[in-house]
Amino acid sequence: MKRIFIDPSKCDGCKNCSVACMEAHRRDGGSGVCTLDLTDPANVSRNRIVTDGRGGYDPIFCRHCDVPDCAGACMSGALKKNQTTGLVEYDEEKCAACFMCVMSCRYGVPAVSADRKRMIKCDFCVHLEEGPACVRACPKKAIEVREV
Amino acid sequence: MNDCCNNCNTCPSADKPMEAYIRALPMETSHHRVAKQKTKCGFGLQGVCCRLCANGPCRITPDAPRGICGADADTIVARNFARAVAAGSGCYIHVVENTARQLRDTGLTRGKIRSEAALEKLAKTMGVAGEDKYDLAVKVAEKVLSDLYRPEYEPMELVEKLAYAPRVKRWKELNIMPGGAKGEVFQNIVKTSTNLSSDPVEMLVSCLRLGISTGLYGLQLTNLLNDVVLGDPEIRPAPVGMNVIDPDYINILITGHQHSLFTYIQDRLLDEEVVAKAKAAGAKGFKLVGCTCVGQDLQLRGAHYTEIFDGHAGNNYISEAVLACGAIDAVLSEFNCTLPGIEPICEELKIKQICLDVVAKKANAEYMPFHFESREADGDRIIDAIVTAYTERRGKVPMNLFRTHGNKNTLTGVSEGSLKKFLGGSWKPLIDLIAAGKIKGLAGVVGCSSVAYGHDTLTVALTKELIARDILVLTAGCSSGGLENVGLMTPEAAELAGPNLKAVCKELGIPPVLNFGPCLAIGRLEIVATEIAEELGVDLPQLPLVLSAAQWLEEQALADGAFGLALGLPLHLGVPPFITGSKVVTKILTEDMVGLTGGRVIVDGDARSAADTLEGIIEEKRKALNI
Repeated sequence: MKRIFIDPSKCDGCKNCSVACMEAHRRDGGSGVCTLDLTDPANVSRNRIVTDGRGGYDPIFCRHCDVPDCAGACMSGALKKNQTTGLVEYDEEKCAACFMCVMSCRYGVPAVSADRKRMIKCDFCVHLEEGPACVRACPKKAIEVREV
Repeated sequence: MNDCCNNCNTCPSADKPMEAYIRALPMETSHHRVAKQKTKCGFGLQGVCCRLCANGPCRITPDAPRGICGADADTIVARNFARAVAAGSGCYIHVVENTARQLRDTGLTRGKIRSEAALEKLAKTMGVAGEDKYDLAVKVAEKVLSDLYRPEYEPMELVEKLAYAPRVKRWKELNIMPGGAKGEVFQNIVKTSTNLSSDPVEMLVSCLRLGISTGLYGLQLTNLLNDVVLGDPEIRPAPVGMNVIDPDYINILITGHQHSLFTYIQDRLLDEEVVAKAKAAGAKGFKLVGCTCVGQDLQLRGAHYTEIFDGHAGNNYISEAVLACGAIDAVLSEFNCTLPGIEPICEELKIKQICLDVVAKKANAEYMPFHFESREADGDRIIDAIVTAYTERRGKVPMNLFRTHGNKNTLTGVSEGSLKKFLGGSWKPLIDLIAAGKIKGLAGVVGCSSVAYGHDTLTVALTKELIARDILVLTAGCSSGGLENVGLMTPEAAELAGPNLKAVCKELGIPPVLNFGPCLAIGRLEIVATEIAEELGVDLPQLPLVLSAAQWLEEQALADGAFGLALGLPLHLGVPPFITGSKVVTKILTEDMVGLTGGRVIVDGDARSAADTLEGIIEEKRKALNI
């Protein structure tokens, strides 16, 4: 099983991970960061960087928790922990858009989509052979994928 | 110096032998650093990072569509873009200012005027008369300088004399006739500062005005003034690439854009007493080795400098490799594209760095100002420093020559004058070939060389696509350096052209890619276009002519591009100029510009699809002209 590990001391707050996440999940059919619409709420990033209040940054990424609050709160069965891959997976078809996941996550990771019809959360870029786009985009190597 | 390099990746180059040479170097170059700079900032790429005030840097995201001050993506992008165009314009205006000063001083001191014909032609265009050629040179130069120094609110006098009348008419309708060129740069720096203009449309209109002043003065006039002092280009075959370097001489690598700054030194290096200094140090004499645009300019006029000039080694991103060969003893630089990356190499190989113009002061270089008034003393001091470097380094540093690189028969010296002469004194033969479809159209593949997405890879691939479609390619800038080193400017390259263009090339004995030399010569290409349009009685946007700055690199290229747009020409770029974060700016430059000037920007990083688009435009224009 793989997880994204974070070393906040290395983070410069450049948000390259956010842009890479937006690019990896864009639904407008385009490709290449240059043509990504940075003002379209539909392209919102699944990770975010917040200041730590001491001059540094805290990258906030989905931890795909062992006991996920989000999946525990999901009544429709849209969110499930995959015991083989370790990922907390989301099935948009099953989602009732109740947003209890958004309410329950202690890290504040899940978000409401711009059209309010689905939730937005890290999917570990399972559609990309090379793995999570955010990790590849980090110039400081503050985030990395490790086998656990 | 760089222990890791045996394990380093270098970027691909269109010039495969050079790629292998650079990869094997024991020192780091730009080609090695590409991999480590691969991760680009998405906000920077789109032009939506603003650091104009201490509230910033602000970046635009879906959650934060405005900066703290309230500037949206359109304002931020337009401000960043207009600042870059202003800076690029400033660079070219600096070059023409120095060039005009050199001509004026040459006239005042009754110095060497190599082309009276060029002087008379220019004086006639400007409507200037003089008592003799020296007085005429002074008057011509002063006419240019007085325009450059006008305030921004006073129109420059020469614009209407230099530009094509139908264009001037359109520019007046659009209210983009430029005021004093330096004033225009100043105005735009002010306009784009913190909390001043927030109007993206107005800022883009300003860019067109900057484009006109840059193009007519920084590009066209710099060439025409230099022709007077340095001599007219003459078409001839010449060697290119690293094979031009002869280790038996004291070799001086020249980098920059201001050829006229070292004309005196260049001539002085052939004087008997100076050659004796070289001989006393153990060398056969002195040689200049060309690199970047100033090398291209010397190559263009190479017919007048066969003794001192060895040939052009390559473009800006070859300079590190050229120095690493060990046979260069000094670098004489007077402007950009003198890469900071040459400094550690010069230090390691004890190569003397000399800077002639403080705007291009390199950290390791000795600034040795060269003033026209004290040229004899200044020149000798510089030459002595070079001889000392030769004595101190030769025999102590390793040689890593690359004698097989490049070729010996690149066609050079093409200009608006020499090409017309070659065609028999008229553009009619070229127009006839275009009308008959033997040449489908013209493409100016111009501007820089870059490495982030491959060294000259897109430039070369696009050029091959264009010539295969019977489109004659004209080049100016570091694109020329890349294209000549891969052999596309040798007559044998005709084999790569489409059947019609190939037949034309074989009949005339020319390559399918014509080398106009430095980026400054983009101005010459535009003179060619204007003269052809004039002969046909049409406006520039009607011509089957496209421009591509496929691997544009610098702010200067954006100012050039703004001129291309003002002229109404389609302009292809391989990567967007940091504008895609703004829908307004992107739409104006890529779509709405057609309705304003006739020009437009086409962004495409793929050679084949870009060539498809450019060919489509050429075919449309042919159809509209009924040919």
